[in-house]
Amino acid sequence: MSGAVLRQELERRAPQEWELYRKRAESRQTSFSGGPPRTVSRSEEGWAARWWESGLPRFAAGSTDSDLRFAIRDAARAASAPEPPPEWPSSKSPPVEDPSPAEAPPELYDALSRLVAAESRGDAVLAELSVSSGARTERVVNGRGADVSVRAFSLEGFARATGRKEARVCDARVLFRWEGPPELDALARRLSDRATLPLSERASPLAHGEWLLDPSVGAALLAALAPLFTASALPTWVQRGQLFSKQVTVVDDAAADGAFDGEGTPTRRVVLVDEGALRARLYDLRSARASGTSSTGHGVRTSYRTPPAAGPRRLFFETSRGASARDLLSAVKRGLFASALTSPVRMNFEGDRFEVEFTGISIVAGRAQGPVAGARARGRISQLLRRISAVSTDRQFFASPYPAGSPTLLIERAEFD
Amino acid sequence: MELDAPRIAGWIEPLAKRPGELAEVFVESRREAVLELEDGQVTGLRAARISGISARWAHAGAESLAFVSRADEAGARDCVRALQVSLGRAPLPSRAGSPPPPETPAESSDLERWSRRLTAVLARHAPRHRLRWTLVESARQVIPSKGAAASFSRRLLSLEGTFRAASRRGDETRAFAFHAPDSDATADELRNAFAHAVEPRDAPVPCGDGAMDILLAQGCAAVLFHEILAHPLEAGEASLLSTLEQARVAIPELDVRDDPTRLELFGGYERDDEGVKPRAVKLLDGGLLAGRLLGQGHAPPGGSTGHARRAAPSDSPLPRSSNVMVAAGHATADEMARRLGNGLWIGDLRGGSVELSSGRFRLRFPRARRIRRGRLADECGAGVLSGEILSTLKAIEPGLGREVRPYRALGWCSRAGQVVPVQGAAPDILIRGMSVRSSA
Repeated sequence: MSGAVLRQELERRAPQEWELYRKRAESRQTSFSGGPPRTVSRSEEGWAARWWESGLPRFAAGSTDSDLRFAIRDAARAASAPEPPPEWPSSKSPPVEDPSPAEAPPELYDALSRLVAAESRGDAVLAELSVSSGARTERVVNGRGADVSVRAFSLEGFARATGRKEARVCDARVLFRWEGPPELDALARRLSDRATLPLSERASPLAHGEWLLDPSVGAALLAALAPLFTASALPTWVQRGQLFSKQVTVVDDAAADGAFDGEGTPTRRVVLVDEGALRARLYDLRSARASGTSSTGHGVRTSYRTPPAAGPRRLFFETSRGASARDLLSAVKRGLFASALTSPVRMNFEGDRFEVEFTGISIVAGRAQGPVAGARARGRISQLLRRISAVSTDRQFFASPYPAGSPTLLIERAEFD
Repeated sequence: MELDAPRIAGWIEPLAKRPGELAEVFVESRREAVLELEDGQVTGLRAARISGISARWAHAGAESLAFVSRADEAGARDCVRALQVSLGRAPLPSRAGSPPPPETPAESSDLERWSRRLTAVLARHAPRHRLRWTLVESARQVIPSKGAAASFSRRLLSLEGTFRAASRRGDETRAFAFHAPDSDATADELRNAFAHAVEPRDAPVPCGDGAMDILLAQGCAAVLFHEILAHPLEAGEASLLSTLEQARVAIPELDVRDDPTRLELFGGYERDDEGVKPRAVKLLDGGLLAGRLLGQGHAPPGGSTGHARRAAPSDSPLPRSSNVMVAAGHATADEMARRLGNGLWIGDLRGGSVELSSGRFRLRFPRARRIRRGRLADECGAGVLSGEILSTLKAIEPGLGREVRPYRALGWCSRAGQVVPVQGAAPDILIRGMSVRSSA
């Protein structure tokens, strides 16, 4: 970080009450959609500063150190409401080298194409695949002596498949992020289900019953509930001692992703829900200061252009005491298996209402009966969470945009239309 | 900051020697100001200066793009070098970095001015609120390998969030969105929009499920046509409309255009992101499917309609919609309600999506009014309109409203992860037998 001038400027404006952030990222992206490839190489830098000038918080961002210097002057032209500065961390870590230009991502189009065709028995074809690989480094320094750096690698992208049956057509788009080698089988299965199950045009045969959630649907549901874990004021319907059923434990632990959060606070494991009871909340520096507590290491920067805010970093259902997914399936007397979402999960926290639209399979006595093109589960969030009757052990993580992990979940007494 | 276009064009000119080859450098400098407003106070304030350059080569469907996050000549050299390497060409010699850019001239403080204005308006109309005001000023330059460089700029303002408003059963949280280019008239228009949004209402009842006759009012039909006409007619997308050129799909009085030249709307621009001067494209001409939205990559030489757009320099341009404009009819608002008879009056659509291959679409509305015997009745809650493109176009009744209104709540559109400003204007439109589902 060659930000000596910026540090001086910030120290002059807000002695000790400032933070300077820098990100460097290198990535290569390749996209195929049947024709010639399209490639993009990106070399990105981003700077951000936060400071409390005369007790007033301000934030500025720029693509370069010069851009940031000008943005700091722009931000100093207006006033916001006074607010006490946060308890800045003072952690230190060894510096990390800026990433070098990224290698081209692996060529996966042909392999995934074959898998999608096989998984869908020829009913779906891969229409587009975009894969990006790269690395980024982030460094945070502040006026209290903190100086931490983290480095991360990524292999992510999206795939699109088209399902066809007679005159019926359905498009499916699936995002993925791999933490190790590419998991093509799982991706092909998700694409195939999402592209072909809606082609059955069969409505839900049940108005109510058990509801078995694929890990991808469970993860989307958990991510949609995340505002409950950062809210300063909870909705009136929340009963802290019994938010979820006893089977549910929810944890946020990003230790594997980085030793520090976006504000330089050390990462730590937080048990948010313990056997159904809401036990903790995620804090960044500002929300912790406002609540008179310490940051939990959940100051998240979704981009260098926006200030860090409290948010999950790696949120998941604990599965150490779960049953196998096969056992959960066998336990279903009459219900629906939600294989993929057909629309984003909707949560109305104020009104205690949720709505999940999905495609899947009907189940009777633990056996698949046939595809269900589209169904909607809806009702009270408070009831939904207390009706999670079993959690499996087959947890998977999905990009949401932070990793959200869920195993297969079984929910009793769901209502469908 | 404008770069030396002839010099940079000289660097990329060797990349576009063959017929049909395209090479260009795209530069953007962007200044953003954001105010977070909560219950009469500015609780967050931020400013950003974002810059970037990309060099792009395209030929016969193949494309290569290199991006660096700075907007000076050294950055241009770096991204041209990266592009040359990716194409297996000899790169330009590297040079030492250029000196830091000069300070841009001091401007009147938009942050300060708008902070004062907004706190006054909100204190009067909705003291309890959580809103975000954003002003984005972007300056773009396109330097092609051949031909003249183009420069253009925009100032776009948004106010979005929620506020507490009165209803007969106590206060309720309502969403608000307003997007417009920054001009002398914007503050007044915003004040009027806010005053309208806070009007007291009855407590809503569920709108019910099933097929209903719908009157799309207040200009929100622009969202419908954005989804069911503009998206499917963006070149490069295989949709069920792609094969129906000149087919009659709607009533003869229905004319729909996509018009980037309407600079008073949020989606307008003077040049597209390939530097082409845009023109209005008829999507539906007297009920017949007409043109498509084209960029240089999907058109014969000189055939671009000026609809190539990028969210940022790090993205490749895609043919995208801008402002969807629906031509006026002759009916008054009262006549439209009378003709509806019984059904739903919807004046606000917040978000929609379309699945291009099947033609299925859905539109979300936060509230509606039931119409009984041509008169406004119950206040209804949120719901989803859904349908299929061709059957919905066929279900539009002859006799459109005579007043075309801009729909300022429509502001951003996402495709393939790229978010660009859009907008539209429409008269009242009556559609028979649309599928409605109430929602959370």
